[in-house]
Amino acid sequence: MSLESRFGRYVDALPEKAWFKFLATHVVVPYWNWGDPKPKLPGGPRPSTQPSENVQRMMNLVMPLADTSSLGRAKAVMAIAQNAEEIFAGLDNVGTVHTARFVILEDNLCMISVYDGDFSNYIRDFIETIGSVFDDVMSLVKGGEVLIPTAQNVDAFIDWVHEHDLFQAPDFPTELFALQDERAGRKRGTPHELRSLPRELILQLQANRNLSLGGGYRAYPGVSAAQVRSRFGMGW
Amino acid sequence: MSQFPDLAELQGNILHGYRRAVVRHLVLEVVDRAAAQRFLAASIAGDSSDVPAITRGTILEKLPDVCFNLGLTYEGLRALGTPATHLASFPTEFVEGMTRRAAKLGDFGASAPESWPSPFDRPERVHVVATLYADKTASLDRATEQVENFAAGSHSAFAVAGVRDGRNLDGNKVIFGYRDSISQPSIRNDDIPDRVRDPLGTVLLGYPTRSEGIVFRVPTPPVLGRNGTFSVFRVLAQDAFGFEDYLDRAADELIADHDVDRLLAPGAEKRIGSDLTQHGALREIVAAQMCGRWRDGTPYAVSPDWPLSGSTELGMEESDGTPPGSRDLRNDFDYGPTSRCPVGSHMRRVNPRGGLIVQRIANHTRRLVRRGMTYGPDFDPAIRDDEERGLLGHFIGANLGAQFEAVMCDWLNLGLHHPDITGSNDPLIGANQPETSWFDLTARDGGAIRLRGFPRFVTTRGGSYTFLPSLPALSYLSKLP
Amino acid sequence: MLTAADDDSRLAEKLVEALYRPDGSRALRPVHALGIGATGTFVASQIASDFCVAEHFSGEPIATTVRFSNGSGCATAHDGWSDVRGMATRFHLADAAATDLVAMTLPEFFTATPEAFLDFAVAARPAPYKGESVWGKLRALLRLELPLRNPYPGETISPDSGAIAFADDHPNARLAVFGAAAIGAPLSYVRASYHAVHTFVVTGKDGTRRHVRFSWQPIAGVANTNKSETPVDSYLSAELRTRLEKGSDRFSLVMTIGETGDAFDDPTRPWPPHRVRIAMGTMTIEAVADDQAEASERLSFNPWLLVHGIEASDDPVLRVRKEAYKISSARRGGAPCPFAGV
Repeated sequence: MSLESRFGRYVDALPEKAWFKFLATHVVVPYWNWGDPKPKLPGGPRPSTQPSENVQRMMNLVMPLADTSSLGRAKAVMAIAQNAEEIFAGLDNVGTVHTARFVILEDNLCMISVYDGDFSNYIRDFIETIGSVFDDVMSLVKGGEVLIPTAQNVDAFIDWVHEHDLFQAPDFPTELFALQDERAGRKRGTPHELRSLPRELILQLQANRNLSLGGGYRAYPGVSAAQVRSRFGMGW
Repeated sequence: MSQFPDLAELQGNILHGYRRAVVRHLVLEVVDRAAAQRFLAASIAGDSSDVPAITRGTILEKLPDVCFNLGLTYEGLRALGTPATHLASFPTEFVEGMTRRAAKLGDFGASAPESWPSPFDRPERVHVVATLYADKTASLDRATEQVENFAAGSHSAFAVAGVRDGRNLDGNKVIFGYRDSISQPSIRNDDIPDRVRDPLGTVLLGYPTRSEGIVFRVPTPPVLGRNGTFSVFRVLAQDAFGFEDYLDRAADELIADHDVDRLLAPGAEKRIGSDLTQHGALREIVAAQMCGRWRDGTPYAVSPDWPLSGSTELGMEESDGTPPGSRDLRNDFDYGPTSRCPVGSHMRRVNPRGGLIVQRIANHTRRLVRRGMTYGPDFDPAIRDDEERGLLGHFIGANLGAQFEAVMCDWLNLGLHHPDITGSNDPLIGANQPETSWFDLTARDGGAIRLRGFPRFVTTRGGSYTFLPSLPALSYLSKLP
Repeated sequence: MLTAADDDSRLAEKLVEALYRPDGSRALRPVHALGIGATGTFVASQIASDFCVAEHFSGEPIATTVRFSNGSGCATAHDGWSDVRGMATRFHLADAAATDLVAMTLPEFFTATPEAFLDFAVAARPAPYKGESVWGKLRALLRLELPLRNPYPGETISPDSGAIAFADDHPNARLAVFGAAAIGAPLSYVRASYHAVHTFVVTGKDGTRRHVRFSWQPIAGVANTNKSETPVDSYLSAELRTRLEKGSDRFSLVMTIGETGDAFDDPTRPWPPHRVRIAMGTMTIEAVADDQAEASERLSFNPWLLVHGIEASDDPVLRVRKEAYKISSARRGGAPCPFAGV
């Protein structure tokens, strides 16, 4: 094998080499990030006109705990568990939630839910019906004290939830360009080199460390919670 | 916080509909800050011959020649020098502005901001929406000149970026022929029973709202935010010919499908309109069900078979002006489980009243005060033209997100509040496309008849989110360093 | 006097010409040159006729002829090279009537108009391909980009660079070019999902018209070959024969319904997975056709071969396909296209 083709094979295998990965992580990526820092993309589903985009929307709310010790995490568990009845009654009254669950994952309290319609209406109605539970939860969350009592800080609380809801990556990968353009104020249709997509994704992940991949799978898309209850004769 | 504000500190158009004949909205750009501030100061003082006086909320025996109120956009507040920390205290939707909220409001396709005419195609230039109300156009012209010409030294205060004129069609009609403005949140009127009265916080920042315990953020500093409110200024073109054409098609389809008896009570044609054929009566039934009121304002829920116009049955004013009977049925009604008013009708979408809705906690929480007037030439169905005509004005509510936007995105479009209509948009003003639109008529036998294929009848032709500051707030703005 | 149909015809001519590869053959199709024909049966689901009254959705078993193909116009088989695949289905109806559904493994198309497609076809003409130099690769890695793939053994020309350059300047084409570059090779023709891409309008039992898009989902599931292994030049046809000798394979026909605000006439915009999708029926592929010349080579599919209950949308690229398929069929001496002489 010639020197050139040996070198060629070596370069082909570079991305897997430990030293290259180290270089990429600690030098190459930060270099690009410094030159072209991406603004953080907003969380949650993006507004759309289609009915099937407006029902069964995903919320991945990640709330960092203030006290990450075992005691702190136990307190978070208790705060939710002791208020379970209020939470469920509240969700019934909101009327637009398909599923909701609370998850403690590492140092975060997460609320993962599937809901219909506009998320700020969902949160606002939720606050109206179980505001005191939110207050309890916010007292355990990093930066949450300024939002208590939530009923008197509705707008700020909605903005905060929006901030902590995970960015949803577009269903079609090349749409990332358009989202970045919009966020940076560039006009729609700005040309981009297709080959730069991996870099744009890597840099976006610097700004949005966590994300949700697309809108997710739905077995029976396009129907609201109330429609399901109505159609199956459960009353809504 | 006192129970009730000093009315002299509020802008008058929040609590009062002036009921003038003509209106003019001036879309202004602040070109010289100091001059604009002088203008505000003079307008508040109300004693200048060069500047129209701001009309306050005090109830007057006699209205001035020109009533004058103004709203500021986020860009406008910034242009007047509001400090950044206070600008940041305004709600997100106001900061972003109506143009950037287009997807949420259903402003796409022909209604998209990209198609809005000047000045709304350059939202960064829209700083002030100043509204003049008068009985004669000459009065409007005089006041417009004052605004255009006002200068401090050689610096003009404002550039007039756009002008929109409107007028009151007789009987409060809109281009589509319906009587509008019947139901408004009734804040103070002691004649209105409690169940229909709305709390002050519906239209004023800093007061309790219908939602228990909820208080919306009042922008800082308190002098700027308190007793102010938000108003959505919107220009809506109404395709009257398209609407009438669609009614023809719908009536044709209903007759072809042998559905006439399911909709038309025997002999009802004459009561629906004195010279209507069956076809004509069906048209009116479709129009009434799509709106939720017959064209004369009779609520469909109160009288599903025919309108009650000119009749004391409605509890309306007698023709000689004597007050109505004990109940004004035009507005004092509710939607029950057996109501024949279609759930998807326009009225029922924008105000479901006490009817059962999915968002159980939200009844009566999304009310808006509407101060709108007709624009464009009169509509004569016999003379086809391409003129733009429609409705423009203010939708006033203390919180844009909780009231205006919430109605637009989940109720008016999408129909999320009732499973029978979810996935469809308001037949009159929703974001419809003929390929996908649908609306269920209620039949007399309790069933439903689905109409399809109607286009969008109302197109957005511009607008802005504005803040209506109190008089002390305007004074604060006029003195910003 | 020139009519719109004449314009279409001339544009279609140019398109067909532009698509021929130097290593293709005039006796074959300009794209999807190599393929294999199979026979099967389609049975509609119980609710299919609610949405579409067309004959093949009645619920009766309908005989089908299916041609699987590689997207490339190259006359030599390179099954293992990354390429879009095609699945064209003819439903045989009563009284010798028929309807076609033409699908491929990309869910979207490259351009929204036939004029732009011509530009794309010219831009993406196969050019000499040597892959990326070593320094080019290093540069790409340092730019956090994926280097161009190495040429396959025996690969001398490729449309890839031209297509990518076109996509750089045409935002609409990005998704399709990206998809095509990354698509790889399926393990089997029946282990890929195929999309008809263009919107059709179906009429239901109650007269309701809906704008829809069709896709075939493999019941065996999607599976691709391992990209790090050397590609095999010819295996797909043999694999299908062996497979169908042992048993049959099924596809589910999924119909997605378009909604307010969706681009019905723009084939570059795929609809996301959370649209309402209707399970319209199942097709069982039973055997490789005995007479390949008849069932694969001479057969002329046309997406405009439709029956009562299905209509084409106003998609301009779909419109020009009518002529393009006709012309291509005439060129290669195919059985006269259903529209020949129309």
